[in-house]
Amino acid sequence: MSDSTLLEELLREQHTLSAVERFSRVHDRLTVRTGSFTQLLPASPPSPSQQYAFAVNLDLCTGCKACVTACHSLNGLDPEENWRDTGLLRSLTPDQPYQQTVTTACHHCLDPACLNGCPVQAYEKDDSTGVVRHLDDQCIGCQYCVLKCPYDVPKYSEHRGIVRKCDLCSQRLAVGEAPACVQACPSSAITIQLVDRHPPKPGPAETMLPGAFPSDYTQPTTRYFSERPIPPEALPADAGAHRLESAHFPLVVMLVLTQLAAGMFAFLPFLVSLLSPQALLALASCAFLALHAGLAASALHLGRPLGAWRFFLGLRTSWMSREILAFGAFSGSATLTLAAAIAALEPALKLPFPAVFRTLGPHLLLFSAASALLGVLSVGTSAMIYIDTRRPAWSAGPTSVRFFGSLLLLGTATTATVLSGLAAAGIAIPAIPALIAVAMVVRLGLWTWETQRNARLLRDPGHPAHSSARLLRKYYPWAPRLRRLLVLGATTLALASLPALPKLAATLQALSLLFTLCAQLLDRTLFFTTAAAPRMPGRP
Amino acid sequence: MNSHPVSTLFHRRHGPITEDLVLQPGNFGLGQIPARLQPDATTTLVCGFCSTGCGLKAHLREGSAINLTPDPDYPVNLGMACPKGWEALAPLDAPDRATTPLLMDRLTGAFSPVSWETAAERFCGEFRRIRETHGPEAAAFLSTGQIVTEEMALLGALFKFGMGFVHCDSNTRQCMATSATAYKESLGFDAPPFAYSDFEQSDVLVFVGANPCIAHPIMWQRVLRNPRKPQIIVVDPRATETAMAATQHYAIRPRSDLLFLYGIAHLLFENGWIDAGFVEAHTAGADAFRSFLADYTPDHVAEGTGIPRERLLQLARTIGTGGRVSFWWTMGVNQGHESTRTAQALINLALLTGNIGKPGTGANSITGQCNAMGSRLFGNVTSLLGGHEFTHPAHRAKVASILQIDPSLIPSQSSRAYDQILEDIDSGKIRALWVIATNSVHSWINHGRLRSILAKLDFLVVQDLYHSTETAQIADLILPAAGWGEKEGTFINSERRIGLVKKVRHAPGQALADFQIFRLLAHAWGCQDLFKSWSSPEAAFQILKRLSQGQPCDFSGIRDYAHLDAAGGIQWPLPEGSPIAPEPERRLFEDGRFFFPDQRARMVFEAPRPEPEPPDADYPFVLLTGRGSSAQWHTLSRTSKSACLRSLAPEHPWIEIHPEDAENLGISPHATVRIRSRRGATTAAAFVTNTVQRGQVFLPMHFPGVNQLTFPAFDPYSRQPSYKSCAVSVIPVTPPPGSRGVGETPRG
Repeated sequence: MSDSTLLEELLREQHTLSAVERFSRVHDRLTVRTGSFTQLLPASPPSPSQQYAFAVNLDLCTGCKACVTACHSLNGLDPEENWRDTGLLRSLTPDQPYQQTVTTACHHCLDPACLNGCPVQAYEKDDSTGVVRHLDDQCIGCQYCVLKCPYDVPKYSEHRGIVRKCDLCSQRLAVGEAPACVQACPSSAITIQLVDRHPPKPGPAETMLPGAFPSDYTQPTTRYFSERPIPPEALPADAGAHRLESAHFPLVVMLVLTQLAAGMFAFLPFLVSLLSPQALLALASCAFLALHAGLAASALHLGRPLGAWRFFLGLRTSWMSREILAFGAFSGSATLTLAAAIAALEPALKLPFPAVFRTLGPHLLLFSAASALLGVLSVGTSAMIYIDTRRPAWSAGPTSVRFFGSLLLLGTATTATVLSGLAAAGIAIPAIPALIAVAMVVRLGLWTWETQRNARLLRDPGHPAHSSARLLRKYYPWAPRLRRLLVLGATTLALASLPALPKLAATLQALSLLFTLCAQLLDRTLFFTTAAAPRMPGRP
Repeated sequence: MNSHPVSTLFHRRHGPITEDLVLQPGNFGLGQIPARLQPDATTTLVCGFCSTGCGLKAHLREGSAINLTPDPDYPVNLGMACPKGWEALAPLDAPDRATTPLLMDRLTGAFSPVSWETAAERFCGEFRRIRETHGPEAAAFLSTGQIVTEEMALLGALFKFGMGFVHCDSNTRQCMATSATAYKESLGFDAPPFAYSDFEQSDVLVFVGANPCIAHPIMWQRVLRNPRKPQIIVVDPRATETAMAATQHYAIRPRSDLLFLYGIAHLLFENGWIDAGFVEAHTAGADAFRSFLADYTPDHVAEGTGIPRERLLQLARTIGTGGRVSFWWTMGVNQGHESTRTAQALINLALLTGNIGKPGTGANSITGQCNAMGSRLFGNVTSLLGGHEFTHPAHRAKVASILQIDPSLIPSQSSRAYDQILEDIDSGKIRALWVIATNSVHSWINHGRLRSILAKLDFLVVQDLYHSTETAQIADLILPAAGWGEKEGTFINSERRIGLVKKVRHAPGQALADFQIFRLLAHAWGCQDLFKSWSSPEAAFQILKRLSQGQPCDFSGIRDYAHLDAAGGIQWPLPEGSPIAPEPERRLFEDGRFFFPDQRARMVFEAPRPEPEPPDADYPFVLLTGRGSSAQWHTLSRTSKSACLRSLAPEHPWIEIHPEDAENLGISPHATVRIRSRRGATTAAAFVTNTVQRGQVFLPMHFPGVNQLTFPAFDPYSRQPSYKSCAVSVIPVTPPPGSRGVGETPRG
């Protein structure tokens, strides 16, 4: 036999899959073995006052992590997708060695934050089992549940545009089969138990495990138990590891632009009697464009925006729904304001609009006042979205200062810039110095507040938001300097514009606004990336 | 579910994305599985990672595996698997698979694809030229414990009998050489005596230098099935996962294990906790051992090991009076500078207390790689095919007659060991090296020098699944191999169980099973006539059966692959004429007869020697190395290919350090530190934990920097490298300017 015939034979043989013909028949006869799991599942289904829950015997869990891979394989998850995670608890007490692997998935909470936050009711808590189910086709990919869950459970899939999560293998439980992780644990450390649906509410310091988020927020149902008590000084292996969070750039743009628009509208009613119709139209147009550019950016954040019309389903519990509603109203009112500004100018423009359109003109003050109110309200709902996640970095005070501070700063600075532009075109404009002055005070105030707060957080390791300051120092050591440069640059340019001739003043104002916008975009990016998310204990 | 049209409009409970996760009965004994992953057949094959040898049920569609689950009927794993087993298919799909032979241009360092004909021609040309110019000792191969026995045997036979070379070794030198040597000297044959059922039947389980919780999770499963509420004893400098689960943990000083075990033996004698009847009837050397032990008083041993007298006594009492005692060890023992004697000290404890050959007993070496035993018995490396001796003329004649070859083709000289082969490359004696399914440039001890040594070769061939391993990247020729699951053959696991590997995947491109590569090269060399009967792995298996006949490892009673498949693997021995359905779990030495002419086990002992590189002022820490997690295997060449496995362990190297040491050095948790030894340096993230002792640090072995640090000491009998102890210094890497602040200021 020549080399090439041998090679052909070998390659042919290599590509013949023969296992089925040679061996598989004997395996075809096997029947499902469910008997071995019965002691790992409750003997009866939950009563109306009960639900299913994971129970983990820490003494039996020795760190093999088969539960994660079994969940991955038996549920057919994407290569990068895991619904179960493992972490490690350790201790720093010198002479009492301690380590404990912990396995964690969805806790099927009694008061699920994911469900409460979902704007489109893509979550439901099953009446009979208590399982928190995610309706994949209902999901719009807003990822608010990812921000809301304090245990990092919902996992967003870029290519699917939705999140998915553990459903306690409901389909398996329904036929008396154990969930994948339960089946796969070599030491039977994970079991399914029945728990009371209305237990006494956990105390504010109660957690499932050291380092886990306080249980009174969502009332997780997973029980971790051990005959050897976890030492009180145990802490997660990743404590202090300081991971950056996702930047959510569309949301960064959305927040900055909508706050800019809300700020412009907030000042518009006060300017109606002071400014010419042209100037009012310029301001209204600019605010309108900023608002809608911001809203368009927010749509880019959605994995599946076409389902977003269902936002009203979540109004009862979701600040995301409320934000969408508020911005919807704000957008309508902004449109009317713009229309009124156009109508007010219409006689001069001689546009072929229907007669009814002209009736809008006299109501500019009313519409702009409504827009001012709705704008402030909308920014309030934006702030509540983040406050409601209970992330320490997003607590009510700092978030409100940042969002409403931006509203004031960007509103005044942009209005001043637009008006400077008109002044440069030869239109007499009052109030510019006042606006510039307000912007300057707010800009410097915000900067000072941010800098001092950060220094204070850095000094105080016990502060809940300490890790944000650490993240900032670790990953963005240049950010404070850049911020200072932008803030001082914007201030100097604005100051320089005051005595300047109109054309130069407009240019300086525009540059000042550009610096201000960059500073705000930077701040908002850091707002996301340094907002350390609570998680279950992680790995080293 | 509410399916009212209005409700459906508002709540989309069904749809294409939801469909993706719908489960349905999988049939074939599977439970609910995703409907889109429904198999049309299933078949069971043995896992290709560690030596536990779990049965994995491949879910097949048109013969090709689309998923797998652990086989509930396989006697080893009883329906369970560790993460590596669950993810065993993922590494086959990696984009860096070698799909065609690749030839490197030595001038540019670039690889270009060539045909198999060219590759074989080049291979044979180079090896033949070197043989003709420099003689039969001028080329060597370094093989593996990861390929099937049939391939190992064909490789060893081809290289030594067909091509006429002498020297070869396997990476089993890095894991099991010690146990093999210890067993041979003490019990007369490389014969781990246990069955996994011994885990379930012990009253006392003594684990020395073993962390089965993460290294062999499925064996640990068997420990947890033990209904006798056993004492679980762990001897390990670190408080490992297994130590945490133990009832007694002895955190001895690194490399004081031999002293420790002699101290325990001393106490057994002193307190009369000896099975005198067994010792008298079945062992030799007990009296000499007793007098040798006189010096190993509790005070002396307590001082050397750091374990107080009372605790030494506690352990001796537990072993001496605890009922069925089993001793288990793995790399903590095997990878030491006096590891053979340490393993034998454990064997001695079992012999002294009569804890061998009975349920729940034994001196039991837990193997590392899936086919380390196949390599030891049939690799034709240290021992002649079938556990025979090259130096023994009768053995050579027997093997020659079974293979129907001229006995003079079988060298009478033993091969040089791994470290000696590298020495010979360094000194220019060996000019060509063939590396099969191992990644020496990452895994060899003190490998900082290895690259420069390998650069001296005229010709380096690497035969592997991936063209991306550190070793493949410096090869002259890469031969693309089919992987586990893409070929047939057998593995022999820790408990001597021969299990079947099946072909359930297409190999990519032109990749060929190692067996077929060897056949192709035999043909190109012109020695194909010697291997006519090796026409397929199963034909080779029939040859191996005949080679095993009359040996302790006789498995000639196994009929064929179908027999193995039906039985769920079969342990050796199973001589011809044995029942077709042997007891599924059997242990050796139940009759007290050992594999020596006088049938007596030997007590082998020798005074401990100081550790080769103790810590000092410049290098004040002892570096321990070992398995990082259950999801990581060796040099990560396979496990890093699975996203799921990657998510189960840190992707960066980490170093475990005691909180007080960290504080003294100004190392905050997660800070980057630099670890330096006399041979090299590497960096890692600090994992501050009290599971390591003061003055010790631990690095997982999976990262390439680790073996730049290790000290090249070798056990003189097994020539296994001592990976577990060397001296290093640890310093924090200065953070970038401007980033230092509160909490990161160096102290002390």
